[in-house]
Amino acid sequence: MMDLKVLPLDIGDTGTQRCRLGPGLMTSLGLRIGSPVHITISGGECLCTAWPRSDLADGFLQFDRKCTTKDLKAVTFSDLSVCPKQIKAICSQKLKGVRVNVVVQSIDVKKHASASFIHDLVKEMLRGMCVAGQYIVDVTHLKTQVQLILIEHLDPCNADTGFITAKTSVSIGAIQTLNSYKCQLQKPPGVLLGGMEDVCASLKEIVHLPLRYPRTLQKLGVSCPRGVLLVGPPGVGKTMLVRNVVMEVGAALVTVNGPVVLGSRPGESEENLRRKFRRASEAAQEGPCVLFIDEIDSLCPRRASSTSAPQNRVVAQLLTLMDGIGSDESFVIIGATNQPDTLDPALRRPGRFDREVIIGVPTLRQRKSILDVLGSQMPLSDDVDFVSLAEMTTGCVGADLSALCREAALQAILHSPQGFPRHAVDMKHFLEALKKIQPSCLRSSIGLTDFKPLSWDQIGGLEDVKLKLKQSIEWPMKFPEAFVRLGLSRPRGVLLYGPPGCAKTTLVKAAASSSHCAFLSVSGADLFSPFVGDSEKALAQLFRQARACAPSILFLDEIDILGSRGDSSAPHSVQARLLSVLLNELDGVGLKTQERRGTRRERCPPEGSPPEGSAEFQQELQMSYQEVCNKDVMIVAATNRPEALDSALLRPGRLDKIICVPPPDMEARLAILEICTRRMPLESDVCLKELAQKTHLFSGADLENLCKEAALLILQEEGMDASSIKHRYFIKSLQSMTPSLKDQQIQRYQNLFTS
Amino acid sequence: MSKPALLSLHQALKRSFHSLEQNQEVWNSVLEECRPLMGSLCNLAEQLLALNNVQISSTPLARFPNLQDRLRFKLLVAVDTVLEKMAEKMCSLQMVRDAVGNKVTAAFQVYEQHADTLDLSACLQRSAAAPSVADMLEWLQDADRYYRQQYLKRKALLQALKSNDHSDLQSAPKRWEALAMPEEEDRVSDALASVSFFMDSP
Repeated sequence: MMDLKVLPLDIGDTGTQRCRLGPGLMTSLGLRIGSPVHITISGGECLCTAWPRSDLADGFLQFDRKCTTKDLKAVTFSDLSVCPKQIKAICSQKLKGVRVNVVVQSIDVKKHASASFIHDLVKEMLRGMCVAGQYIVDVTHLKTQVQLILIEHLDPCNADTGFITAKTSVSIGAIQTLNSYKCQLQKPPGVLLGGMEDVCASLKEIVHLPLRYPRTLQKLGVSCPRGVLLVGPPGVGKTMLVRNVVMEVGAALVTVNGPVVLGSRPGESEENLRRKFRRASEAAQEGPCVLFIDEIDSLCPRRASSTSAPQNRVVAQLLTLMDGIGSDESFVIIGATNQPDTLDPALRRPGRFDREVIIGVPTLRQRKSILDVLGSQMPLSDDVDFVSLAEMTTGCVGADLSALCREAALQAILHSPQGFPRHAVDMKHFLEALKKIQPSCLRSSIGLTDFKPLSWDQIGGLEDVKLKLKQSIEWPMKFPEAFVRLGLSRPRGVLLYGPPGCAKTTLVKAAASSSHCAFLSVSGADLFSPFVGDSEKALAQLFRQARACAPSILFLDEIDILGSRGDSSAPHSVQARLLSVLLNELDGVGLKTQERRGTRRERCPPEGSPPEGSAEFQQELQMSYQEVCNKDVMIVAATNRPEALDSALLRPGRLDKIICVPPPDMEARLAILEICTRRMPLESDVCLKELAQKTHLFSGADLENLCKEAALLILQEEGMDASSIKHRYFIKSLQSMTPSLKDQQIQRYQNLFTS
Repeated sequence: MSKPALLSLHQALKRSFHSLEQNQEVWNSVLEECRPLMGSLCNLAEQLLALNNVQISSTPLARFPNLQDRLRFKLLVAVDTVLEKMAEKMCSLQMVRDAVGNKVTAAFQVYEQHADTLDLSACLQRSAAAPSVADMLEWLQDADRYYRQQYLKRKALLQALKSNDHSDLQSAPKRWEALAMPEEEDRVSDALASVSFFMDSP
């Protein structure tokens, strides 16, 4: 039999529970006029009574959705066709009784309408209808106080469906309002949150508290906390956290968006605010309710700094509304912002926002759990290692990580071989995606640099300097458990000093590329600005950003400009102020509370953790060591004028590891020459050893220059066709060069910190 | 095809339509009688509002003790009287509804009894003199539902009235009038017109 085309219902049939079928179909299904049918359509089910179409045409179906299951409600029926198999005749008896829940229009009706009135209304509405258990009867078309009737239970129990007659007894269970019913219908959160268990729990507690223990709080004579301010950088998931908590608790959510509330007419914004609060308090009479003010900084800026009167009025209105919530109205206000400093201070006091929850940039462990949550939906191949990914994504917030996963999935789709629609995401896709993702807490940072990765082998000689650098930078990251075992902490800062051209900067580059951590580099000149106070602010911000994405390396090149010993002639110069900022940032009293990240964890493993000895336990342990050991910023400074530095900078606790980068000795020079000539075609008579012997007092940069000069010389003398460099050209160019270092200078460097 | 079954069904339908015709007149006349009552309700509400707004002490009537309360009492008693009368009218509306309902149910019962012997195509057969059985059953059901809905809505409106909310009282007549559904009413009349030949036939 051919499919039936679904047409919209005739207006006259609205609310009649009829479905219009062709007479042919009715006969084949054995239907009489008015006999009940059960229609299964697009995921839902519907109960109707069969009526012939007035034009007696077959092949069409019109049906009234008065009595349906829950899942049918939101479906539209354009271009839908139905197989006749989806329509079934059912036989139903007259019901003795029925128990229903009622959804009414507003809280006003729920409070004031008498039970007998509602009962009469509902009974009258249901009369003559064919119903089944767990179906919903929609009576909105009648425009009375009752909106929906939820059929709970039929009597006799064995009846699946039945007709309600005048003799059927109707008993009413719960009465709820339409808003709370809609809240209930919302699906549980599809997106879970990773690494926010503690914040989530504390939020849930606040929402639950007034509901669970209203008497206890009354007895204690205290009012419940009502306001929570969520503070955190953009992208850490503040809004998502609130939505998740609200859904989990099953609370009603009223959202206030700053820009939406603000209106153009005078007084409009205040009115909108008041309306939102009224809505929240109405919803709160039925169950938990959360009023969520996103981007509260736009709604409630500091009053002193703004000159516009309307803005100030809005702030004042918000404050009075927050004060005006009675203790009987139990709704919780949650505000979210990423600039808590711009909020009006009057807002941040107990009674308004009682608690401030700071969500920092996720730590290693939190990143791991975020990645776990994000990856749980993706088809991953076995080589994906989220622990190492979490280690690589320092400074990334939740939004960055989800962007990373999306990018990786895109890579997988783009690079999957044709004809293999497998789409498993491999580790290489993640690594490819990682190149495109920039941690959002480093955006627009002055210290962000892009450099070519460099390995330790590309630096000749200086073996002991390399070792010291590895000790202080690489080891704490690679072997954290050894550091923890021995109670070692990594040095706060490293100072590299030595004559110019001896690869100080290159060494730092190599250190940065060998350890997977964020690398910020700034030279003194970047910081200076013509505006008073600007330089200090920039330096402080640099440190803040570096801390946000710890473990990180902050490289201060030419630190002598920043940290030179204060001249007595200019005690208030920019240098002096910068130095004081630097000293404070290096070893200050503490951090600002806003920069808090994660929570202090107990060292003992939490309950439910994997058993000792297993691979997972080892991984967990490794991660916890990593966190303990590498929560700070490593500061690396370089200078060639160490004598000019302020002594306060050099004390242990600030730049406590002082490494001298000496000019290359004989072997080092040989190594440097080998590296420099690696790509040059050399004649067999070239003796690098001899060159190394002859280049006493040459720095690394000088040696590189020497090689370049020799190559240029041969091009000059033998024409452009020259194929290899002969030894005499090295000697010739050596004769024209003088070493940039002097014996006396080296002596001075060496005696500086030893005497 | 079973002729006797169809005949008895036709008889039942005829009885139902006759009853519907009579009851429609009753219904309309009762509704007509309700209108002045609702008007006086509106009037009383206005008086109550005015009483609330006036300061008796600043008028020459200040000499009468407790005038405001007495007046309010009087007005409220009057409101109650009107509402009582309305309740009576509602009773007669309910009687109409029940009468129509009973006849329609009876017609459906007759149909149910003979449904096994009646062919669907017989029920769908229309002629110049008589509409098909399906159409007539549909019209009867529509009429029944119309009266039930009207009664329900009007009753809900009266139930929701609060005598202490004057503006609510004042707007009641307007809402009462708004409840009337002329197109539904017309459908009942149309149905009756369509079956007039059928009803007159022996």
